[in-house]
Amino acid sequence: MTAAPPGRAAVTGPPLRVVIAEDAALFREGLARLLADRGHQVVAAVGDADGLLAAVARHRPDVAVADIRMPPTHTDEGLRAAIELRRDHPGTGVLVLSQYIETRYAARLLEGNAAGVGYLLKDRVADVAEFLDALDRVATGGSALDPEVVAQLLARSRHPLGELTPREREVLALMAEGRSNSAIAGALVVGGGAVEKHINNIFTKLGLAPADRDHRRVLAVLRYLGTG
Amino acid sequence: MGATGPVNPATGREPPGGRPGGWVASLAGLVVRAPLTARTRRELLFCLTEAALGLVVLAVPFGLLALLVVVQRLTRGTTPPNLVSWPAASDHPAGALLYLGVLLVVLLLVVFLAPRFGRGLGAVHRYLSARLLGEPVGVPAPARRGRGGPGRLAAMVRDGPGWRAVAYPLVKLPVLLAEIYAVLFAVAGLANLTYPFWWRLFRNHPPGVRLQPVPVLTPFGSFDIATFAGTFAAFAAGAAMVLAAPWVARGAAAADVWLMRGLLGPGRLAQRVADLEQSRALAVEDSAALLRRLERNLHDGAQIRLATLAMNLGMAREKLEADADPEVRELVDAAHQGAKDALVELRNLARGIHPPALDNGLADALATLAADSAVPIELSTALPQRPAPAIETIAYFCAAELLANAAKHSHANRVTVELTERGAALVLRVSDDGAGGADPDRGSGLSGLAQRARTVDGQVEVVSPPGGPTQVTVTLPMSA
Repeated sequence: MTAAPPGRAAVTGPPLRVVIAEDAALFREGLARLLADRGHQVVAAVGDADGLLAAVARHRPDVAVADIRMPPTHTDEGLRAAIELRRDHPGTGVLVLSQYIETRYAARLLEGNAAGVGYLLKDRVADVAEFLDALDRVATGGSALDPEVVAQLLARSRHPLGELTPREREVLALMAEGRSNSAIAGALVVGGGAVEKHINNIFTKLGLAPADRDHRRVLAVLRYLGTG
Repeated sequence: MGATGPVNPATGREPPGGRPGGWVASLAGLVVRAPLTARTRRELLFCLTEAALGLVVLAVPFGLLALLVVVQRLTRGTTPPNLVSWPAASDHPAGALLYLGVLLVVLLLVVFLAPRFGRGLGAVHRYLSARLLGEPVGVPAPARRGRGGPGRLAAMVRDGPGWRAVAYPLVKLPVLLAEIYAVLFAVAGLANLTYPFWWRLFRNHPPGVRLQPVPVLTPFGSFDIATFAGTFAAFAAGAAMVLAAPWVARGAAAADVWLMRGLLGPGRLAQRVADLEQSRALAVEDSAALLRRLERNLHDGAQIRLATLAMNLGMAREKLEADADPEVRELVDAAHQGAKDALVELRNLARGIHPPALDNGLADALATLAADSAVPIELSTALPQRPAPAIETIAYFCAAELLANAAKHSHANRVTVELTERGAALVLRVSDDGAGGADPDRGSGLSGLAQRARTVDGQVEVVSPPGGPTQVTVTLPMSA
């Protein structure tokens, strides 16, 4: 096997049943191949939002990966389908992929609940391990927000973040992306205890109530920043 | 073949022009066939309708004059009519007042209603021209509506195209005569053609009886015929008239259309302005649509390919054995990173060409812009209808530029963006509580903005005293 980089352990979780909705055949097939290569089962790969809704209703997958711009109008039908899926199939995680990040889309997608939902740039698929980690998180009720969304949120936060140390800001950003403590520790190359300490400091400084689950933590941070 | 000239392969006959003297035959054919063509029928019908209409309309001023004369006669008695010097007040004071009243009413009616009347009639003439001749005449700009009672009346009087339309039936008098002549050529010509056929029916009298000669009507006067041989002269005159009628009708119709273009159309300069406005609007819309298409093509083409390439390189990188050649690993890493960087660059480029959020409407796109801004933005949009795509694009880029300016230069804590529709205009107002001192003459950003707005007759108004606050108002039409 290949040498697993730090933070890669989560990838080798149980195989997931996945539905892919993406109108560009090239990317759809590439993604299906990538997922199959990692032992996941792609139960359906469709090209539009209606196909996505039908496939999810039929296969009840662990997670659906959806492009935002799809036929017929090429605007936000994927996003609307994703919102519908979140309402009608709470057991299925929804990971929305897009070539653009719109902060407002993130807000619409989350709507006060960050469980089992993700919003990533298509570029992130290129970092295979991180992408699969995010997919796994979304499939198991966690969340995955693109670093670019988080960066924009941090940049225009309603509250001053000046009290936080640079390291604490980094931890806050990774937390907002939906990462677990161990993933944060892996990303920053520090120990789990250090991460916990940072997180406690952040919650104290910002006056937030500690959250037990990662996706609740995401929501708390987003609320604090003024979105979600 | 080759040098012998064109030969119709279907019939094998040479075209008429190819034979020496063939043009005479073809001209003769044209002249003989002309009275039978649909075009001639339509042109004659046009002349007939125009002649009737022209006579009726010409009757209106004469009718008015007659009315005045009658009123004057009634009020003054037996003196011959003189419209200018009204009756002496000492004669019939009541009559003089009545006359003055009628004169005033007629004058007022003429002054205020004539332009309207002319416009309405102009529409009828234009319809006839388009319908019967297939020669559409442009519609002049609609009359301006004044504000308030006096303003409205003034606008009614100051209606240039309306007065030109009033002049049309008067100026057209010679053309009207030509049109009457065309109808006369056709009708009288046809009548003359019939002489030899009915002559014997009515003239089978016993020999020796002298009968009144029968007049034959031609455009150059009438002549009398008394014998059967004479009917052939009538027939010949009729044939000549029927053959000439199409050309008289055509000439009269062409002259009428020329007059209509000048007096009932939009006017040469106004037409040019309208044409330029239209072609500019097309150019602006076209470029907006082109940019939209370009972005869509990038999105569905190059960006997808690059994303897939990056994904495949990512997979390749993961699959490289731990003990793989470090040089190979380095190369794959570099390719992977390069693909990702190219994706970011391409995305920024595409976003600058056409922001995808704009597909959902200006309100949505501005909300996205506001969400991505570093300075807190208060956004209020009230648009009952969507402007044209090109206008949305201009408004969006104006807003983006103004927000970037506010964030960069003004040190503002709060920016307000308002989007409203006022009249037929889109009004975008961006205000901040920053340092002010923005000068459109110095900052290339603001002057660029004004230039962008001017391509659609929009305006940019900057109020930014030193010390602030700054308020920039962009006014754009709803369509280019």
